[in-house]
Amino acid sequence: MAEVSAGKVARLAVLFERYHRPLFRYFVSMNGNREQAEDLVQEVFFRMLRYRTSYDPAQSFTAWMYQIARNAGVDQVRKRGTAQVVDIDTFVDRRAELVSASPGPEESVSRGQDLALLRRAMDQLPEDKREILVLSRFQGMKHEDIAEVLGCEVGTVKVRVYRAIRALEQIYFTLEKEKAS
Amino acid sequence: MTCEEAKTRMTDYWSRTLGEAGETEFNAHLASCETCRSEVSRVGALWQGLDLLPLEEPSGKVRDRFYEMLGAYRQGLAAAEARPAKRWWTIPAWQMAAAAGLVAVGLGIGYGVRGNGPLFGGAPAEVSQLREEVANMRQLVALSLMQQQSASDRLRGVSWAYRAEPSDREVLGALVSAVNHDANVNVRLAAVDALRRFSASPETGRAALQSLSKQTTPIVQVALIDLLVDLKDPQAAPELRRLSGNETANEGVRQKAQWALERLQ
Ligand SMILES: [Zn+2]
Repeated sequence: MAEVSAGKVARLAVLFERYHRPLFRYFVSMNGNREQAEDLVQEVFFRMLRYRTSYDPAQSFTAWMYQIARNAGVDQVRKRGTAQVVDIDTFVDRRAELVSASPGPEESVSRGQDLALLRRAMDQLPEDKREILVLSRFQGMKHEDIAEVLGCEVGTVKVRVYRAIRALEQIYFTLEKEKAS
Repeated sequence: MTCEEAKTRMTDYWSRTLGEAGETEFNAHLASCETCRSEVSRVGALWQGLDLLPLEEPSGKVRDRFYEMLGAYRQGLAAAEARPAKRWWTIPAWQMAAAAGLVAVGLGIGYGVRGNGPLFGGAPAEVSQLREEVANMRQLVALSLMQQQSASDRLRGVSWAYRAEPSDREVLGALVSAVNHDANVNVRLAAVDALRRFSASPETGRAALQSLSKQTTPIVQVALIDLLVDLKDPQAAPELRRLSGNETANEGVRQKAQWALERLQ
């Protein structure tokens, strides 16, 4: 990113190749909508290009990128809220589709866990908890970088990641009980 | 180590990021604490299980759109550098840095960023300044794409116009020019639709009206008439009346003009 910031705009392509998949997965985890996630990936790289001079090479690149990503996501929610009225049912349906899609053999049972159930539990997790779990678990971000993204202390991040996985556990076992009965 | 401390270290323990000493200390607590031991194994299984969730893959469209944007941006930048009046990117880096953070917060406040408070602090005036700069960049991409050889690029450019500010006169001008002069009907049609984004500007109705008198393709004429009705532009009446009475005009267009006249009255 330092090079992009120094004016070598084409270098952004390298970053794109490296990060567009993780970013896409972050957005899908957050809003459950592939199409919107793709739009948001585009928007993030657009903003990276736009704000490239604001990148401080001493800063963690992933933290900077996820700051942009979060704000792009929030901005999209805002736009949906005003421009086109969000059809909440459609939104929920899409999530449900995503959840029920392809329970392949590898997904069925593993280590005594039902992955389809786990995915449903993830989707039911409150947004802030889901986000911190996605960042630390799926994006492989260090606690320090997450702290930078969320604007809080490293200690707070650790506590919140712990609370998030505990909340996930509770939802998971509730779903499991429902399924059994 | 207390149980409270152990809890905040569990995720690091599962991720093997505690370090050797930390792990030894943690294991010592587990050896002496039944509660934490059972929690580590129970919740840890779930933590590891997350690894097994299938990964979503983006479609190839994402890559196409990215390279298209990058190309258009570079071309637009080169073109804009030739126009010294618009050198918004010469703003000092520190100011940009501050503003980039600000817009982030500005958009975040009140819209569901939970619990963390603003990521940066700042004044609203700078936020609006930054919004303007983002709009400028969208403008750059839209304008650059609308000048391309390939019709599909120009269509893309028109779709970028939707992201421009409704007050952006340069993008409005480019759209009007596309409606009037683009060789491709689809681009002309898309540009007519995109003009709706600029419906607050009095120029839009005027341009649509002028364009209507020049157009000869019925489908574009009909689209323009629809636009004029949506704009509720009373000044459109004389031209519509002329069109509906014009015996050499397409029958469908004449009917549409008649329909529009009734709507506008
Ligand atoms: Zn304990």
